[in-house]
Amino acid sequence: MNATALGDIRPCLEGAIPAVMATCAADGMPNVAYISQVYYADERHVALSFQFFNKTRQNILANPRATVLVIHPQTAAYYRLHIRYLRTETEGPLFEGMKAQLAGIASHTGMQGVFRLLGSDVYEVERIEALEGEPLPGPPPRSGMLTAVRRCSERLARCASLDEALNAVLATLSDFMGVQHAMVLMLDSAAQRLYTVASCGYATSGVGSEVGMGQGVIGVAAREKTPVRITHMTNAYLYSQAMRSSFEANVPDLEAVTEIPYPGLAEPRSQLAVPVLSAGRLLGVLFAESPNDLQFGFEDEDMLVAMAGHLGAAIDLMQASTESPEAAAPAERPPAAAGAPLHVRHFAANDSVFLDDGYLIKGVAGAILWKLLKDFVRHGRTEFSNRELRLDTSIRLPDVTDNLEARLVLLRRRLAEHGPNLRIEKTGRGRFRLVVLRPVVLDETP
Amino acid sequence: MTATGLPPDLLAMMERGVSVIAGSRDAAMRPSIMRALGSKVEDGGHTVTIFVSRRQSRQLVQDIAATGHVAVVFSEPSSHRTVQVKARRAVLRNAEAADEPVLARYLTSMEHEIQQVGFAPRLTRAMLAHKLEDLVAITFEPEVAFDQTPGPRAGTRLFGSSA
Repeated sequence: MNATALGDIRPCLEGAIPAVMATCAADGMPNVAYISQVYYADERHVALSFQFFNKTRQNILANPRATVLVIHPQTAAYYRLHIRYLRTETEGPLFEGMKAQLAGIASHTGMQGVFRLLGSDVYEVERIEALEGEPLPGPPPRSGMLTAVRRCSERLARCASLDEALNAVLATLSDFMGVQHAMVLMLDSAAQRLYTVASCGYATSGVGSEVGMGQGVIGVAAREKTPVRITHMTNAYLYSQAMRSSFEANVPDLEAVTEIPYPGLAEPRSQLAVPVLSAGRLLGVLFAESPNDLQFGFEDEDMLVAMAGHLGAAIDLMQASTESPEAAAPAERPPAAAGAPLHVRHFAANDSVFLDDGYLIKGVAGAILWKLLKDFVRHGRTEFSNRELRLDTSIRLPDVTDNLEARLVLLRRRLAEHGPNLRIEKTGRGRFRLVVLRPVVLDETP
Repeated sequence: MTATGLPPDLLAMMERGVSVIAGSRDAAMRPSIMRALGSKVEDGGHTVTIFVSRRQSRQLVQDIAATGHVAVVFSEPSSHRTVQVKARRAVLRNAEAADEPVLARYLTSMEHEIQQVGFAPRLTRAMLAHKLEDLVAITFEPEVAFDQTPGPRAGTRLFGSSA
């Protein structure tokens, strides 16, 4: 029989049934303890949750050899891991991934407030024994995961715009993985916040809503550039939007008014956030959630990481190609603006833009819209390119790595949700058109 | 307190039949471990016998035979109430027909315990499946006991003075 590999026993490492561990003190007295978490770190390492300063802790610091017994939660097959303590991590990706899983385990077992991760004890796995026994038949292997990766890859390969790529990823999640609620957020590297550019399955799209770095599973996945998965309802990671109040009665409180509500579930029971990376840089976060417990296993995590990798590469390629626009298409005669004027108000303080007193957008996307409208009013221009936006200092794009295309997707989607009178239409790679159906009156507030 | 110094509720829990995990170590201080497939607690906690499968526990059985050292944890899955007892003079014998009622009673108790945390009895039966002729009985008198229920009291010595 082939040796059992750590990857073969991942179902045992999901925390469904606690593991037990034997250590040995310097004086030769053995010790046995329950371990809430035996976490799959990589193919040769596990990390155990260090929650209490106890005998196990004393023992492994004095004698690094330990033996762990795990059990398959469906078949009851036993495996023994012979491990050797290497180090303890108290921050970073591994720690945060374990902390999230432990929060779910604590919640599931009624141990909130008792289970608290002090550190991730990393062990090298020297040997795995598959024990004899009379296990139950295993569940049939989950099929279709590779097909889902294939479909996602195919769909992304056909995409010519960021809009399409975002839709392709969300469609794959719902078509092949049964994910009902998902969103994609992009990083605003200057503000160190994430903004929603696409979502599916929510009452409101939430496009434009923001999450801070480190806030909830999305913010932790972004900050640590690591997947964060919660398999049971827990309060530890609930996203809460701080209430804000206006201090000045005569001017709108821009912070409060410009808050687009986060669209996520009020009581999620499973959540999975994976970073979207390219060339080691964080671009954003792909996030899925469910109102049911135990919705996302390690295979779902693997799958989302693979999809996020494809998405990251696609986003970077599109960014590069849209910076060198193709030749301008012949301009169509824009429809004449008619009807009552549309009042557009711009607050320079945070580049927020209001349409007829309704909040639309702020920040870079707000600055872009203001530039487009000024050019339209002053010069009658309707055709624009990404390249000129990039070069326009009034927009103050944070830096060259900032994803301009994502800002335009955000602006386009916010405008579309606001009505038909003011739109942005793509006209080609790196080119777009401003469509204005009502006369506009611009009002600048410094 | 009972004769052994175990709180009555923990002793009752041990007598009833809850999860039992046993550990030992070899001469090179390498620890060994296995789940017991049955337990019997007698004389108010002075005599503890646990049963392990030889084919699942070769190292553990060998280590206990060689060193006499054993550490055994009793834990109630639904409440996480946990106690660990240790001894340095455990003795081994093969299980025999007279042990069968103890094993059957233990299985019944465990089916109930594990069902309370959401697993069907068939999983428990697979966890505890054995052939009598493969079982080894490990008997010892606890020299020391610790409360190991997760929380502020974890690690508290309940009785005994050796490590």
